[in-house]
Amino acid sequence: MTKTHCPYCSLQCGMDLAREGRALEVRPWTEFPVNQGALCRKGWTSTGLRGHRERLTTPLVRDRATGELRAAGWDEALDLVAGQLRELRASYGADAVGVFGGGGLTNEKAYSLGKLARVALGTSQVDYNGRWCMSSAASAANRALGIDRGLPFPLTDVEQTDVLVLVGSNLAETMPPAARHLDALRARGGHVVVIDPRRTATAERADTFLQPVPGTDLALALGLLHLLDAAGAVDEEYVAARTVGWAEVRAAVASWWPERVERVSGVETAQLRRLAELLADAEKVTILTARGAEQHAQGTDTVLAWIDVALALGMPGRPHAGYGCLTGQGNGQGGREHGQKADQLPGYRMIDDPAAREHVAGVWGVDPSSLPGPGRSAYELLDALGTDDGPRALLVFGSNIVVSAPNATHVTSRLADLDLLVVADLVMSETAALADVVLPVTQWAEETGTMTNLEGRVILRQQAASPPSGVRSDLDVIAGLAARLGHDFAADPEAVFAELGRASAGGRADYSAISYDRIREEHGVFWGTERMFGSSFAHPDGRARFVAVEHRGPAEPVDPTYPLHLTTGRVLAQYQSGAQTRRIADLPDDGPFVELHPMLADRIGAYDGRPVVVTTRRGELKAPARVVDTIRPDTVFVPFHWVGANKLTNDALDPSSRMPEFKVCACAVTA
Amino acid sequence: MIVGAGMAAVRLAQELPDVTLLGDEAHPPYNRILLSAVLEGTHDPDAIRMAVPEGIDLRLGARAVEIHREEREVELADRSRVPYDRLVLATGSIPTLPPIRGLVRVDGRLDGRVHAFRTLDDCLRLDAAVPTARRAVVVGGGLLGLQVARALAVRGVATEVVEGGDHLLRSQVDAKAGAILARDLKRLGTAVYTGARATRLTDAGLVLDNGYTLETDLVVLTAGGRPSTALARRAGLDVRRGVVIDDQLRTSDPHVHAIGDCAQRGDQVTGFVPPAWEQAGVLARVLRGEAASYDGARTVARLRATDLDVAVLGDPERADGHVVEVSNPVTGSHRKLVVSDGVIVGATLVGDLSRIGLITQHYDRATVLGPTEPGALLMPPATAGPVVLPDDAEVCACAGVSAGRVRACASVEEARATTRATTGCGGCAGTVRELVLEGASA
Repeated sequence: MTKTHCPYCSLQCGMDLAREGRALEVRPWTEFPVNQGALCRKGWTSTGLRGHRERLTTPLVRDRATGELRAAGWDEALDLVAGQLRELRASYGADAVGVFGGGGLTNEKAYSLGKLARVALGTSQVDYNGRWCMSSAASAANRALGIDRGLPFPLTDVEQTDVLVLVGSNLAETMPPAARHLDALRARGGHVVVIDPRRTATAERADTFLQPVPGTDLALALGLLHLLDAAGAVDEEYVAARTVGWAEVRAAVASWWPERVERVSGVETAQLRRLAELLADAEKVTILTARGAEQHAQGTDTVLAWIDVALALGMPGRPHAGYGCLTGQGNGQGGREHGQKADQLPGYRMIDDPAAREHVAGVWGVDPSSLPGPGRSAYELLDALGTDDGPRALLVFGSNIVVSAPNATHVTSRLADLDLLVVADLVMSETAALADVVLPVTQWAEETGTMTNLEGRVILRQQAASPPSGVRSDLDVIAGLAARLGHDFAADPEAVFAELGRASAGGRADYSAISYDRIREEHGVFWGTERMFGSSFAHPDGRARFVAVEHRGPAEPVDPTYPLHLTTGRVLAQYQSGAQTRRIADLPDDGPFVELHPMLADRIGAYDGRPVVVTTRRGELKAPARVVDTIRPDTVFVPFHWVGANKLTNDALDPSSRMPEFKVCACAVTA
Repeated sequence: MIVGAGMAAVRLAQELPDVTLLGDEAHPPYNRILLSAVLEGTHDPDAIRMAVPEGIDLRLGARAVEIHREEREVELADRSRVPYDRLVLATGSIPTLPPIRGLVRVDGRLDGRVHAFRTLDDCLRLDAAVPTARRAVVVGGGLLGLQVARALAVRGVATEVVEGGDHLLRSQVDAKAGAILARDLKRLGTAVYTGARATRLTDAGLVLDNGYTLETDLVVLTAGGRPSTALARRAGLDVRRGVVIDDQLRTSDPHVHAIGDCAQRGDQVTGFVPPAWEQAGVLARVLRGEAASYDGARTVARLRATDLDVAVLGDPERADGHVVEVSNPVTGSHRKLVVSDGVIVGATLVGDLSRIGLITQHYDRATVLGPTEPGALLMPPATAGPVVLPDDAEVCACAGVSAGRVRACASVEEARATTRATTGCGGCAGTVRELVLEGASA
């Protein structure tokens, strides 16, 4: 039996892997507190990729003569990549090489990838797909609370709160075992509020459900602040003792009376008033945001507004209350802490901070001035590929860009303009299929490494089986490339983790006291403190910041040609770009669909199960209609696990987090 | 420089740095439309103060008395002069005194019982009078009148409403809707006299032309306001009902603009915040040199009063189109959509605001609806009764388990072990228990 964690979402459910002959079987690990033995079907079937006929087991190199990929040896492939990278760097400068990571990579891989970029390649052009996941929550939390850790308390704390507000989270589908905590809260007499344009599986088990127009969660928060202030429900004592900036927020929300909020958000004033009363009367309120609130061109401001609500109520730092972000990807948290983000060095240090550069350069044994500065954010990096001043080569680890990037047709055309695309993956993902060199890597259960779950709990995935022959771990691949570029990188996960600990020491996310042994003994180890903000926030003066923000609305408002809102999201049986889950036989893969309301179906003549066409300024998608009365009649929903949804989405970016606006754009639907 | 510091003026100031705001009230800018909420007690007066950005030169108690257009200067009541490059008039509207004898005493001052309800000072003065007042009469059955009436009633003052027209909200809604509102108000304890004019205020009370004399401690005048145009008129600008503006919000002098309640575009003088704010937004762009024009806004009038539900979209009584109407005098609701070429061009919702969020979205965005949609919008959503789950219905989404597979199990434990139902989010536990029982009893 090997104790490990599920390969998918940020809940990182604990599980036991048992060997049954040649097969691995998933067993519950009931002592792990986050999921207490529960798993969704993705977890139960997670060993389904083991021995899969589509696993890549040899490096592939695109043959110049035929244009086809052919098998190659590891030395040939790595020599080829390193040689081309050296040439491009010599001809065009270090920034001619880009590196693209993923929020599913272990901390060790994320760290090594960032180090590969900064030390071996000397490029500033490194970012990762987590930019499309939690970055808005991260930038808001840093600004308001001084630190970014998804949940500043253990997830089980939500069971003890009085009112739990979920803004744009469908956790019953995206991380099903987490929904058990909602039920436990309700069994205690607590109240669950869900805010979502769709009455999701999560909304079905809520006590209060608000259904705003996509992209208006910010206006709702301003309306709540307005009503809380009007009713004298602001915790003045807390605001005076622990925060700054309330006066500006107060003045700003005077303009957000309920009827105005109703007109903007489509949420009736009576509902907003009831929610305000509920919050005003509750002793403990916990507000959690997720992608629905965050994946917007005003995502950072939206999260700031909800943090303002939590602060006005005096919640952050109080036991079983406060604000948190429900991280999406498996290692979305750790992935952004250890240096694969364009502006950050390990330990959540900022790359433009001289002290941070000096510390990390010391651990890496290089001159601080040799470290590049901040580079482009994920989408901007992809948008620049193959252009005059953009990268000419891209190394991709743990990401299926072709499916997951917004405005995907454009991004795919950028990839095509590269001189060299290198993709490390387990299977021939849609992005790997475009690569010049494909490097087959180990998957979960075949390797060891740490992840940092949505609570900031560092957990250990342990190797339970040997990888297929011919497959190497990402750490090996990164070390192999580094060696060819003249640098000696560790490839053993525990050694890399120890180095990561040293590099992060003294940083905001300090892992130096964490070891594999401690993780095993303690069921994971929180970085920082288990519960944060009890006595102070992470700003120098110890106070949280209220930030006054304004609602701007979606970057692409609806108009007569594109009269509907399009929103995207996940379904239970699939994960992210589906590169793994779509290949697992026990998970149903029914392809994309278009969810729409009966009133809209009636208007356009659509029938359940029959195809409809969704069109935006960027592309179109034909998929079967799913006619449901759980969605707003002015909104359609498409899941993004398949090629298609992201050909439609808008690449407008949040000015602060650089998060694309995945969650709303204007579309037309025809039957 | 902006003359005025009300809703439109502040909105413009928020968009333009380094402007001067001349406010004639002593209070810092506040949200005027929430005054009735302050009176009602749902809003703390401090909570309606509006944000004025740093860098704005805000002058309170500065009443402009003259515009010297040649010198481009505004003269204040204290005879000081303030120069401007561009001038924006956002002077709002002023309440008109209805022709009621006795409002003004022989010494020229208002009778102590009489209150206007336009400014924060008006509101605070009325608020101070409420604790000792037993009875109040609100003159005017428009939106403001009803809000004030409800606020006073909620505060425990026996309140009556006098409306000269034949029904309440006569400039917004039809007689049927007005009648329902009057009934609602009566149910809430507020008597309504329609088609009745107040003619005289005497020691005995307010005398109506129908012969009634309403004994009262307070008379609140909410009937009628007119654009505040005196300044513009004296400066020789083109003024009809309001200060006449073009689609660039320019008056007849290209250096002088006007926005909000004081302005008139085409035939339209608005009395609502949303169009005033839209004008402020357009003017900010115009003054920054960006291309922008104002082509008239869609208005949504919402009554802000406890237990009185009214929304009026556009001008439903004058809009052209087919009328789709659901009226239920038994429950006291009246809902009407005016639809032209599939687009909602006006609507009245009284007594039942369900789907108002969606209807407003359709109205604001001019969504082209299908033929059955307007009707569907006014009907309550169908509620499904309990159903017997077919065998192929999925009961556990986490594990992908159908009802049939659960029914085939002898116990919850068996279902759990063989199908993994209930092992994910746990939401299906109840259904699984029932299905196992069903299977056992079948």
